[in-house]
Amino acid sequence: MTTETTQKRRERIDRGIKVRSESLYALNSFEEIAYLLTPRVLLIAAFVLMPLILSPWPYWGRVGLSVCILALLSISFDFLANYVGLVSLGGAFFYGVGGYMAAVLNTELGLPPVLSIPVATLLGAGFCTLALLPCLPLRGIYFAIVTLMYPLLMTRIIEAFDILGGTEGFRGIDGFSGFFTEQYGLILAMFIALFGLRRFVNMDGGLVIRAVKDNDQSVRASGISVTRTKAKAVFLASLTGCFAGAYYIHMYSNVGISSFALDLSIMPIAATIIGGAGTLVGPVLGAAILVPLSEFLRDFGSLRIVVYALVLTGFVVFRSEGLMNYMTRKYQQVERWVKI
Amino acid sequence: MLEARAVMVFYENMLALNNVNITCPDDGVIGVFGANSAGKSTLMYALSGIILDIQHKERMRGGERITLFGEVVHDGEDITKLKAHQRARRGLVLCPERRRLFPESSVAENLSIGGHLATRAEAKETFDFVMDLFPALKKLTRRAAGFLSGGEQQMVAIGRALMAQPKLLLLDEPLLGLAPSIQHTVVESIPHIRNEREISVIVTEQYARPVIPYVDYAYIVENGSTVMEGTREELLGNPDIKAAYFGCG
Repeated sequence: MTTETTQKRRERIDRGIKVRSESLYALNSFEEIAYLLTPRVLLIAAFVLMPLILSPWPYWGRVGLSVCILALLSISFDFLANYVGLVSLGGAFFYGVGGYMAAVLNTELGLPPVLSIPVATLLGAGFCTLALLPCLPLRGIYFAIVTLMYPLLMTRIIEAFDILGGTEGFRGIDGFSGFFTEQYGLILAMFIALFGLRRFVNMDGGLVIRAVKDNDQSVRASGISVTRTKAKAVFLASLTGCFAGAYYIHMYSNVGISSFALDLSIMPIAATIIGGAGTLVGPVLGAAILVPLSEFLRDFGSLRIVVYALVLTGFVVFRSEGLMNYMTRKYQQVERWVKI
Repeated sequence: MLEARAVMVFYENMLALNNVNITCPDDGVIGVFGANSAGKSTLMYALSGIILDIQHKERMRGGERITLFGEVVHDGEDITKLKAHQRARRGLVLCPERRRLFPESSVAENLSIGGHLATRAEAKETFDFVMDLFPALKKLTRRAAGFLSGGEQQMVAIGRALMAQPKLLLLDEPLLGLAPSIQHTVVESIPHIRNEREISVIVTEQYARPVIPYVDYAYIVENGSTVMEGTREELLGNPDIKAAYFGCG
């Protein structure tokens, strides 16, 4: 009404190429194909090239694998927390169960790693799902607390009854035949988990799972069993987690009660927050930042945790959306000032 | 006296409020009528300052960018930059859409939460006033608010807003989902609030008919702009408005 001075507002709009390449008929130029594929190809290329680059330094090769292990656990956490609505602090439970299962299969039954890892993954996921079944009606903080108890419980049971090798654990588990087998086996598995889950959450089954997160009463009213849906989702997440555990113990040829350590439940959360929750790629990115960071900070001794905590706090306070969401926005949208 | 001058709100690139000017004199009852998505709630958020909080939350989680323009002036002071709790201290209190009670707290507790800004004596006096205003609540003070009927919950919500000692009460869709007879009880409280406590009221509603007898002046909002404003008689005299918002004629 009154004098309209030059008021300006910063506008975000989608890039033209994004709009074009999203529509159904659009992929008619290499430019558009490249636009869609570049981020994916970059990620894949980075992980495929990683073993080749790191092969002269076996230590850093192992660090690279730790990135993948943490990435798998974080994907599992992200999937459960942001697609199913179950905030699980039981990453260590999946990991430990998978690890012990593979150790038993390998040392007692003599299965080679090629068999013991997949069998341990399946059996371990089944075991985890059954164990968590009574807690599935819980939500939010209650589910988190109960799942936090599971790894602690396993540690104490193993200690008290002196089963599964007691405090010693298992030693002399078969390793992998070579550096590259070890590297590419895990990297491939990580891609399967990442892209498989990313596809799954947009398929019919995945939509039901996401609906449970948004409103479980509506899902129930549609005649779908919420508990069964949650059990399926937990099975998928524990597959990912158990695989990480099973693979890791074959890398280092031993397993102990440290497989149920609290770190393994907490680190995935940190990676997910840094990378961007609810994106599934974000956790991989977060793991790729966190693991090398904690290696570089090893020189600082106990100050390592301080730096580490500061980085985490900084992310939570200033960029709680996470790196991935931020980067996606920059990639897909432009900003400009417009007059109103 | 509250004045909103040329208020514009963008949710990302969507224009939710376009150059809206609203004036609410002391002791006035102002109606804001409009369909769903016309911008009524956004206007309420802008007046009460909740919009700043929503804006901050969206920015933190990387969601929509909310852009605000224009100014809100209360008693001659520019309060555009004031946060919701500061505006509540000045006496601008919002009774939000869908009530937003604390479902596990009792009615009495909900009311005393609202009385945070009041002194003990004021709180007690207002509590009694609310009980007189809505006698239905007298028997329910110890009942959990989540178990009340929609109408009773709305009464508690209005009561809770009154406990904050407002000078201006913003009622966002107080009749949402209520049966006509209950609507009547709720609406009838508006003149009591105005006359007995000298509180001015801005009330939004989709369907103006139950509210129009109690407002002095009203604005019709469509797609974020005020398309018409006038006194009660002027609005009732306009056949288009009558058909669209009063359901008769």
